[in-house]
Parts: sequence; structure tokens; C-alpha cells
Amino acid sequence: NKSFQLSSLPLQILLYVNGIYYIFYFLATLAMIIYKSQVFSYPDDLLAPDVTVLFLMGILEVPRLYLGFKGNLTEAEAPLGLSLGLTVGSVVLSVYLLLWQTYVLWADVLLSAVLLSTYGLESGLKVMAIAAFVS
Amino acid sequence: MAAPPGLRAFFVLVLILLLLPPPPPLRAEEPAAEPADTRDAARVRSAPAPLTDVARLCVCDLLVAQCDVNCCCDPDCSAEDFSLFTTCSVPVVTGDSQLCNQKAAVYSLDVEANPPERIFKLIDQVNPSIFCIHATNYKQALYLKSPEIPTAENFDQLLEKFGGASFRAEPEIWDLDTDAPNPPEANETSRYEFGVPVQTEDSFLRLPSPVVTSWCSDANPAGFLVNQATKCIRSVSVEKCDSIQALSMLFYINSSILAVPKSSQMVNITVQSIVVQSLNGMRSLLSSSDVLRLPMVLDDLCINAVLGVNYHITHTDTGEIIEAAAAFVLGAISKEALSIEQSFEISFTQENTQPVPLSGNPGYVVGLPVRAGFQPQGSGIIQSSNKHSQLTILQSTSTQDCLAAQGARAPVLFGYNMISGCKLRITAAMKCQPLAQTLLDVLKGQSFPEYVASFGNSQAQDVLDWVPITQLHISEQSPCQIPVSLGIEVKWTKYGSLVNPQARIVNVTATITTSTLKQLPSGRERIIPITSSVVFTDISAPAEPSYKAWPTINIKLPFDFFYPFV
Repeated sequence: NKSFQLSSLPLQILLYVNGIYYIFYFLATLAMIIYKSQVFSYPDDLLAPDVTVLFLMGILEVPRLYLGFKGNLTEAEAPLGLSLGLTVGSVVLSVYLLLWQTYVLWADVLLSAVLLSTYGLESGLKVMAIAAFVS
Repeated sequence: MAAPPGLRAFFVLVLILLLLPPPPPLRAEEPAAEPADTRDAARVRSAPAPLTDVARLCVCDLLVAQCDVNCCCDPDCSAEDFSLFTTCSVPVVTGDSQLCNQKAAVYSLDVEANPPERIFKLIDQVNPSIFCIHATNYKQALYLKSPEIPTAENFDQLLEKFGGASFRAEPEIWDLDTDAPNPPEANETSRYEFGVPVQTEDSFLRLPSPVVTSWCSDANPAGFLVNQATKCIRSVSVEKCDSIQALSMLFYINSSILAVPKSSQMVNITVQSIVVQSLNGMRSLLSSSDVLRLPMVLDDLCINAVLGVNYHITHTDTGEIIEAAAAFVLGAISKEALSIEQSFEISFTQENTQPVPLSGNPGYVVGLPVRAGFQPQGSGIIQSSNKHSQLTILQSTSTQDCLAAQGARAPVLFGYNMISGCKLRITAAMKCQPLAQTLLDVLKGQSFPEYVASFGNSQAQDVLDWVPITQLHISEQSPCQIPVSLGIEVKWTKYGSLVNPQARIVNVTATITTSTLKQLPSGRERIIPITSSVVFTDISAPAEPSYKAWPTINIKLPFDFFYPFV
């Protein structure tokens, strides 16, 4: 085989951007939940699941990005595969925040759409990288 | 082609993602009216959902099957009705304005057209804000909650939740604290408090007073420490005057007063004095007041009828009555009289005190009598105990005859300028000197004081607190001078702080003006007016408010402030 690097540069860039964007997404969504709870009628039994999902997504994001970085840089497919699995979970949670939140503001829709497209693109690149590493 | 398989896979993936149907555009849900769930009675029922279709909502449609004026959304209005409208009272019907995308019904009147016609448009209203509500998954977010309809199953739960006085998690305890100490029972020594009716052995001490009309009602109890004076009319008949209880002295003194409420300690009412009033109004004091005089019929008159009672109750400072005395005015009722006026008074005095009412503390209060007195050699000031007869001026009477007006005096009240007078009829037979002396008595009264208290609360011992009355005589040089006017000028000043100035009398001047009495030819009469007046003059110096000094700024820099350079 050629001595090219198999690590995918677009994936690396995307993972890096995803990390920064996710911090912004997390803070913005949290701020908007606080805003919604003050302005609208937001009972506690509906507020709890929304906040839980957000924090769960945050907790999931850290190992997902770490495994993605590690897998891409060490050209190992196992961490990358694990990261792909965690991405599926993140996508589900993000879809919840997009569709099934108590109040979905237009800003929520924009942020979640961008995040989902980032996840989609990332998954595609990861699959390609796994294919490259395996072969 | 180094990575065609990877690139191809990438493109396939992108294609798949693009072809995925986009999430359907979410609109805020417009819930259709839910039919009341009648199938299963066990399920919780709620009232039908509210109408939310903006095209059918019309808040100004109040009259059923009739057209409401200026209500453009009223379905009962026809085109002819619309042509008579001037404006639309409800121009826009819309849902919550925070939704991103919603329908709005817009009603307007086209006044240009002839006849005016109504324009109805259903438009999509867009909220441009980035924080507009795109969707909600919570139905009650934008609508009021429909209340639950009670059924047999949920009744108990609803009652527990909403049946209390307020909707709370823990119900309020509405019972009063049963451990609260009960008010002290009567076996403790109680005492009279202000306003409490004075109790006698059978009921209350009665002070007859007019109730609604002027007729006497015997059911008015006297309140402790409540000084009262009442006058009322009682119907009498001379034949039965010895059987009318209210005319007899016994009625007012036979029941003893309880010293403290609900006790057995009694205080007898003693007769302090008896004044007998004759038919023409002359009163004379009886020397012996221990003989009980009961009404009896004598020569078509009823004598010894009670015309007035004056109670004097002495009490201790702990609210216990120790003495009670009554002063009576007895009179005679003639045969023609069908009613008489009785007057009653009650006053309370604390034991061992001589209540001397003050006219201010310390400055004089407008409307209270000016305090005045005499100073015999070497002692303090002596005042009359009647506060209304210390400094007086002549009181005008209805007859306006000076010589018949003797005795009626009006007290000088602080701050009230008064003028009064009478007319003197001079005949040729009157002699100068006795007339002058009589007029002086009429003007000045029986005991014209020498000193006036400068403060309302000046004590009799502090002689320096009293201002002497300066007497001036203005007279012409002629043999026969009669006084014709007395003018008392009281100069007072504001004393003390700017915020709460007190009135203080500084100077009192009594000026007697005399005029010559011309000898009249016999048979002729003259009427001359005699006046007396009181004037209060404020001679306060303008106030000098004192201000605090401007604050000075003392800045001193430390000696090493400019350290490296100094």
C-alpha cells in the first residue's frame, strides 16, 4: 500500500468544528430553556425531561468526540466504530430536542438542524474512514 | 484514482441524506374540538375544547341571530348591514402572537366603495423573531386549561384538591387555637374601664337622655369616665305628679352604685345640694340637703319635681368608684304644663385631685378660655375654679338693656375676637356717679382679674408666668364721665420651635373709654350704645430659621504623597 496517511483530514476538521459548535449549541439550548421557563408556562414535570436530554447529550458528546479523534488519528477502526454508535444516540437525542421538546422555538430548529447535518456528514466521513482503515 | 471507493461511498451517503424527506414543516397545532368522551365513564372527562378557528371566532357577536353594530365578523350581518357600519370594532382575530406562523382573520371596511362593503381576509401572520414558538408539544401552553367535569369516580379527589377555602397542598387549619387563655373571669377583681356602663345593684346608673326625638329615655346608661350633659323633655301631668317616678328624687338616688363591676361593694349616692327653682326661674340653694323632698301637689302646682340632676362620681386611679354625689334642681310645675325639660349631667373626678382644666399645653389652644386670676399680697395666683368665668366680657342679651343684663358674662376664648354690647337708656333723672359705677360693673363684671396666664398651662405658683393686665383710661376732661366701651387687647406671640409654635400671651391691655354725659332736659331720653370687645393680635416676630453651616472639605494630603519626587 502507499504510505499515504489513511486518517481523513475532512473528518478531523469536522470533528474539531463539531466540538466547538456543540459547546455553543449546549449553552444556547440551556439558555433558551431557561428563557422559556420564565416566559411561558413550563411545568416542572415537562421541564425535567428536556433538561435531562440536554445534559445526557452533553455527557455523550465527550467520549464520542474523543473516540472519533483517537480512532481517526491512530487509524484504528474500533474507536471510530464506537464513536459512530454513540453518534446514533446523539442523533436520537438531537431529534428529540428538535421535535418533541415542550416548546420548539425557531432558534431551536436552526441549531438542531445544523447539528443534525453535522452529525450526518460526520457519520458519512467516519464510514468512509473505517472503510479505508479496514481495507 | 487513489480513493475512488471511499469517495464513491461518500457521495452515496450524501445522496441518501439528501433524499431523506425533510422533516415535515411543523405548524403550531390547532387542536380540533375533542368530542366529550362519553363512551367510557371511567375516564376523566373534560369540557369540550375551545373554538380556535380564527375565521369563526367573533368576540363582538353578542346578539344571537341579530346583527351587532360595527361587528365586521358577525355572521348574522348581511351586505346591507355592512353598508351602514362606520368602522370595524374587531379588526384582527389572531391566535397567540408568539407563534412563528399562524392564521389571522383580518376584517376591514372598504369605505371607498359605494355602498361600503366588508372585506374579510385570511392571512398567514409571520412572527419574524428568532424566538418565536415553532411548535409546542404541550397543549395547555397557549390555551387555558379546561376544568375537569366531576364524575362519581373523581369527585373525592377533586373535592380534596379544590374543596378547601384555598387551593393548597396542606389545608389551612381554620380552627381557632383552643389553648388560647380565656379572658379573665369575674372572680378576679375587675375594675371599671373607660366607657363601661356604671353598674348599680339592679341595673345601670341611668342618665336620661333624648333618643331620636327629644323625649327622655331612661335606658341610657352612664359610661365610666364619660362626662355627659343631656337635656330632654318629659311629659307630665300635675294631677299625677307624685306618681311619676322620674320627677322624684328617690328615682335617682335609691339604687347604690357598685364600686367595681360584678362586686358586692356598694356606694350610696348622697345628696350634695338641692336648689329650688321658682316658677319665674329664680334659683335658691337650700341650706339643708339631707331632707328628701318628694313631689306633691299643692295649689294646682306640683312642687319638688326634679328639673335637673348633676352627678359627681369620685373614683380611684385603679377604676374603682369610691364616692357618688348628686346635686338636684327641684322646681314647680304649673297646671298648664304638659311637659318639662329636665337636664342631667355626670362628671367624674379622680380622688385627691382638683382637676383644673388647662387651656393648652404649653401654648394656648384656640377656642379654650383664657386663664386669669388675682394675686393677693405675697401669694400665688388665685383663679376661679370655673374655667369659663376667669376672664369674661359682657354678653349681649335679647333685651339689649344694659341695666337689666347684669350677670350674663361670656368667657373670653383664646383667638376669638369678640364684640358685644348693650344699649343704655339715659333719662334726665340719672345721676352721673352711680351711673358710671354701674356701667363699670356692667362692662368689667363682678371680678375683673388682674393677671392673665401667659401659657395655657401656667401654674398658679409661678407668678412670673402670669402677665398683669394693664388698665388704661381714655377720658376727656370734663366733670361727668361715663364709661362707654371696654376694649381688651391681647397681644400674643408664637413661641418655641418653627415646626410646632406655641401661642403665648405677652401683653393684655384693658382700655376703658369714657365720654361725657350731657345733662338732658327733663323728660327727654337718650340711648347710647355700650360696647365691649376682645381682640387678639399676633405680634410674633418673623421666624428665623437657622441653617446648618455649609460643610467644609478638609483635605490634607499625607506628607509623603508625592513620594519619589519629594
